[in-house]
Amino acid sequence: MSIRIEQVSKLYQGVPVVNDVTIEIQTGEFFVLLGPSGSGKSTLLRSLAGLTNIDHGRISLHGRDVTELPARRRGVGMVFQHYALFRHMTVAQNIEFALRIRRVGAAQRRRRRVELLQLVALEGYDERYPSQLSGGQQQRVAVARALAHEPAVLLLDEPFGALDAKIRVELRETVRAVQRRIGMTTILVTHDQEEAFALADRLGVMQMGRLLETGTPEQLYRYPATRFVARFLGAANLFLGEVSRQGLHLGAATLAPERAAGVTPAGSEAVLVVRPEDIEVAADATELGAHNFASGTVEALTFAGHQQHVSVRLDELSRIEPATANAASAQRVTVDALRSAAEQMAVPLQPGARVTLGVRRVHALPTPISSFNLMTCSDNEAAQLERSPLLAQLVSSMQARVIRRGEQLEAGICVLPLDELAPTAIAAAVEHGARRVLCIPAGAGVPQRMLVHAGEAVRRADLLALVSSVMRHLPIEATAVTLQHPQASRSEVVETQRTLLDTRAELRGSHGLDLRSDRFLGDLPAWLGSVVAQPETALLVLGMNPTRDLAARLNSEMPMLFRSGGHVDLLLAFGRAA
Amino acid sequence: MKPALLRRPRRRQVLPGFGLTMGYTVLWLSLIVIIPLSAAFLSAAHLPLSRWLQILMTPRVLASFRLSLSASLIAAGINAVFGLLIAWVLTRYEFPGRKLLDALVDLPFALPTAVAGIALATLYAPGGWLGRLLAPLGVQVAFTPLGITAALAFVGLPFVVRTLQPVLGDLDRDLERAAETLGARPSVVFRRVILPALLPALITGCALAFSRALGEYGSVIFIAGNIPLVSEIVPLVIMTKLEQFQYAEATVVAVAMLLLSFAMMFAVNGAQLALQRRYQSRR
Repeated sequence: MSIRIEQVSKLYQGVPVVNDVTIEIQTGEFFVLLGPSGSGKSTLLRSLAGLTNIDHGRISLHGRDVTELPARRRGVGMVFQHYALFRHMTVAQNIEFALRIRRVGAAQRRRRRVELLQLVALEGYDERYPSQLSGGQQQRVAVARALAHEPAVLLLDEPFGALDAKIRVELRETVRAVQRRIGMTTILVTHDQEEAFALADRLGVMQMGRLLETGTPEQLYRYPATRFVARFLGAANLFLGEVSRQGLHLGAATLAPERAAGVTPAGSEAVLVVRPEDIEVAADATELGAHNFASGTVEALTFAGHQQHVSVRLDELSRIEPATANAASAQRVTVDALRSAAEQMAVPLQPGARVTLGVRRVHALPTPISSFNLMTCSDNEAAQLERSPLLAQLVSSMQARVIRRGEQLEAGICVLPLDELAPTAIAAAVEHGARRVLCIPAGAGVPQRMLVHAGEAVRRADLLALVSSVMRHLPIEATAVTLQHPQASRSEVVETQRTLLDTRAELRGSHGLDLRSDRFLGDLPAWLGSVVAQPETALLVLGMNPTRDLAARLNSEMPMLFRSGGHVDLLLAFGRAA
Repeated sequence: MKPALLRRPRRRQVLPGFGLTMGYTVLWLSLIVIIPLSAAFLSAAHLPLSRWLQILMTPRVLASFRLSLSASLIAAGINAVFGLLIAWVLTRYEFPGRKLLDALVDLPFALPTAVAGIALATLYAPGGWLGRLLAPLGVQVAFTPLGITAALAFVGLPFVVRTLQPVLGDLDRDLERAAETLGARPSVVFRRVILPALLPALITGCALAFSRALGEYGSVIFIAGNIPLVSEIVPLVIMTKLEQFQYAEATVVAVAMLLLSFAMMFAVNGAQLALQRRYQSRR
């Protein structure tokens, strides 16, 4: 294990900009951290280099814990976006800087310099000054300089960001070749998806300080776990579909899932990802080679070199619902397709043409939050819920849809106001099939922490799927809490500890996320009392059994949560009804 | 890059054409700078060289030149160190009162030099606040070269700080980060990376502080005590000679001073240019 980052957090004014990130990177691996600006990727890279101190967690390089070491003792090489070459030194002096500091002899320095300049294809440039070189050449020098002291890892912070397109591609290839040749463990930070795909052995997508998903480019492209990754890595059509024992249903089509849908049980709603290149366009259903799922009208055609973008407006009869918040108007659903030259030849299209659409491949996101289903008595109340900071944040970062429909409670997640009437409302919703209920008190702020308590016999996998979905989309710290009786026996204490460790391990294993763990001495009411007593807003995630006397139990076990003026958001996950 | 001057500006400039603006520039420079200076030259020119040497070689004039040069040089040196420190603190740290401190730097600029002189004299006089504390240690500041140096350091400070500040502000922080990841200790980062990058600005600032110190009069006369051969600076010698109606002698000393200043300026600009040639504008 070359690089091990364990639960690393970095706070900026109390807000985590890097939030419990755990990654392991193999020796010789080229790992790319991809994310939009402000996602925390550069901060994470800097903390690896020792240029920023971290607030929590450990970092080890080649088995050596370097968390407390200053940058100069970590043995990393770093390359910056704007080269950061020493302008008063020649290329040779720049490259030899690290060696000169280490008092390496002149002959040896020269040997290493010649070797490195050859590696980056800049032989003979030794005596030039940085200002005499082009941007691409300067960055080559920067790479050579970063490698001079034979660092354990090479860190590249948006190294091609300041270069123009052609040189960028050229230099990208050089860096890849150099990395392969010397087998250097490398981490590169970028916001450019194409660059990430071209370079990465494995990549991690970051958003809001969280490492959302990690995997090979192909894994993440074909089987994303979140709407964000699905759309950030290439284009994607996101629809609400259904999972049944036969497979995934999208409009008229039924496809066998390539992967077990996992957490989405048969009979429930799911978010389906359809890549534009997996959509077939034909004039007639009989000509389709793929599963016919809808028909519509060609709205726009865009030339894109060897490919063609087709935007098709679906007929209302197709009954296809978008899964994203931005395409809220369900009346006008459009599908993006990408056609190869051969397809363009076979079926020429004009704007306004009637077409039938087939789908070759569908991927269901493993998130239980397909949509937010508002359960309110009035539109006024619904509007108030939609404006609540928590829901607004979740909707915008998940790009999920908010639906007001009342029926079909198993779909997505039910949202209702948290007040004195909530226990009855929750019980009613659960009776009608709701499995996940989010209760938001009026006037609550953005939660500042998330507390998870597995509680009763909910399947841990179900609970963690829900927890990870929420964690990925809120920039707050998440903590798993177990309750322990003050007079617990030794074996009980060990058991509690093991449950916590198992929970963390499972979350890490199946979702790639990490959370804090905490133990509370006392029973559930005592713990809830202490949470309510805190001044900051918390999001409480509880697992519960859907028993018949649910309303009474809620009222007797956690009355403090339902009192007016509360500031605790409550997310309940229910197990299967017996 | 092609020299910009050779290209004809396509866009209309805010000010009318090159000919007119250049004309005004030359006229203005002549009126303000060249004519008064040449007047000084001309009025001294009718004296024979032997007379020149005779005037300049008197012990009193020589001592004043020695004092002016050394005190100015030392003051510029002090300002180089503390000016850099102040500029560093003002650009690198965010702290309450930073704006106020920043404004304080300009005070030696803004203050009438006589006010500064009186303040310094009362402070360092044997009975003054600081003079009283220093006297038992055997250190006398007022009416000695030490006092002159203190006054010159005072007036020169803003020049160094103000020339360094923008350069420090623009200095890419990644340079330090890069040096650090390459294994440099903070002291090495400063010596090998930051200082060389600041050197051109530091030289300019010091040169400005030095030239200002060379010509400083108001703030020095009070604290200097003006003892011939001990604490008499060149401007004061000129002044004294004028007061004694020795116009020719005063002019000769003044012209010598002028030539010295020119020589300094050329030397500094030359050094500057050499530095820039090496790693800045050569593309």
